[in-house]
Amino acid sequence: MRRCLDGDPEAAGDLVDRYQRRLFNVALRMLGNVQDAEDVTQTVFGNAFVALKSYDSHYRFFSWIYRMTVNESLNAIKRRKRLVTLDDELDIPTEGTAADDAVEADDRVKRALMDLKPDDRAVVVLKHFVSFSYEEIADVLEVPVKTVKSRLFTARERLRLVLLARGS
Amino acid sequence: MLTPEQIALIHAEIDGANSPEASTAVRALAEQNGEARALLADLHSISALIGRVHERAPPPHLRQAILEARARAMSPAHTSSIPKQASEFVQWLVSPFHYAARRMEDALMSKKAIIIGTSVVAIIAVIGGVVVGYPPTGGESGTIGGDPGSIGGVQQAARYRGRQMTERDVTVGNPQIAELFQNQDVLTLVKSDVFRQAMNNEAFRNLQSNEAFRNLMASDAYRQMMASDAYREMMASDAYRNLMNSEAYRELMNSDAYRQMMASDAYRQVQSSDAYRQVMANEASRNMMASEAYRELQSNEAYRQLEATEAFRNVQNTEAFRAVMANEAYRNAMANDAYRNAMSSEVYRNAMANEAFRNVMSNEAYRQAMSSDAFRQAMSNDAFRQVMANDAYRHLQGNEAFRSLSRNAQLSEAFLREASRQVQ
Repeated sequence: MRRCLDGDPEAAGDLVDRYQRRLFNVALRMLGNVQDAEDVTQTVFGNAFVALKSYDSHYRFFSWIYRMTVNESLNAIKRRKRLVTLDDELDIPTEGTAADDAVEADDRVKRALMDLKPDDRAVVVLKHFVSFSYEEIADVLEVPVKTVKSRLFTARERLRLVLLARGS
Repeated sequence: MLTPEQIALIHAEIDGANSPEASTAVRALAEQNGEARALLADLHSISALIGRVHERAPPPHLRQAILEARARAMSPAHTSSIPKQASEFVQWLVSPFHYAARRMEDALMSKKAIIIGTSVVAIIAVIGGVVVGYPPTGGESGTIGGDPGSIGGVQQAARYRGRQMTERDVTVGNPQIAELFQNQDVLTLVKSDVFRQAMNNEAFRNLQSNEAFRNLMASDAYRQMMASDAYREMMASDAYRNLMNSEAYRELMNSDAYRQMMASDAYRQVQSSDAYRQVMANEASRNMMASEAYRELQSNEAYRQLEATEAFRNVQNTEAFRAVMANEAYRNAMANDAYRNAMSSEVYRNAMANEAFRNVMSNEAYRQAMSSDAFRQAMSNDAFRQVMANDAYRHLQGNEAFRSLSRNAQLSEAFLREASRQVQ
């Protein structure tokens, strides 16, 4: 990031290489749709490059860029809700080379995630897919740790019920 | 009944957030309390399930798209949004309308292309499924080409491998298929090189296994539209065929910026908005798109004509339209060379001015198909777009035997019925 601000021409590419996979996956799990996740990832990087000059280095960069990804995903969900239900839009194509077990897990999890409220989903995604601590999630979402725990417990309870109802 | 504190402790155990003492307490609780034990087991199971989900690789073009967008955003032309000279001011004033109208044209073209594409795939799916078993695999040859009475160059299903295949083979067992294969056009198509190439094509095979596409093929709106006269007229038009075979169009379909725009959320919002559909159904707007005045949009006269269209103004006032104007993917597509080349090509203009195209646009079944969920899902699908941009696929579209099949109402209906039956 510092190199980017200093005008290093390679720095932007390095920044994308470092974060695009993780941010894309966060957006994908938030949205359940590859194209939307791609849109969100691109928008986030675009906004990040523009806002980089005003970035306050006292804050952690990863918190900042993950926050943008979650917020942009939530915005995309709001926009999409006006058109179709989430279930209609669900489209994470399974990868042909993946093991059957992983494909099955992917399918179960993506459907269960879409049953969560977006705010709760964000907590689950950051906890289980990014492996953030409660404190890091609180930092990204700008909410108290207590709220993170509460949302996570509620979301997991909901996931449990959904998966049980679907015979997992 | 577990207390909230106990529940929190169990969740924290799953998250690895407990101290050694707290973990010991959780284990003791689980041993003594069945409810705690069940909750702990369920949460472990959920955590394990999520752990089995693999991280996905981002699309290969995403990195380049991000960096290109950044480069554009940092260029002097982009950062200066206030026009400095009179001529620039006029261009700036007109550009949103110019882009919007072009975008609408583009949307229409892409939808037509997809419709044509699905009809091609429906035919190949049925013929391919019966003749060679589906999907074909690249390394399984054993075909015969050119022998009288054989299915030239097409890969054989396992049950047929080891001997030559004849028309007799493919007519056995299924009366509907038998009827289809007694048609000379079907046989000519099956023996053609372009059909073989399409059958061997990976993009096509991916599409075949795609659920969104299969849903589209099975939808009522789509089938009605395919059966309409307007659709058949369009299929038979030279203007359309020329467009499909043009270099500029292929470049457009292959360009990342175009695909990003088509897949973007904002773009889909406009396509599904009522105001947009009103414009599509509006006679004035269709005339405008086909008019010379439209092609000279950057002049003041064209601008006034555009402005006079009420339905067009309605679209501009929609939130969805404004979202598209502000959308990065849309702006990228507008700035894309392949897009500009396609829009300015002679074949594209001829196609847009073609009577058959306009008939399709005003067709009720066409509009219903356009607004269906199945269509939107298929449109946003990667496998589908890969097929659309694919050489083998486009060659097949230009094949005379195939075109003859598509013009034959009875056969088209038969293929669609069979394709839908396969989906169900």
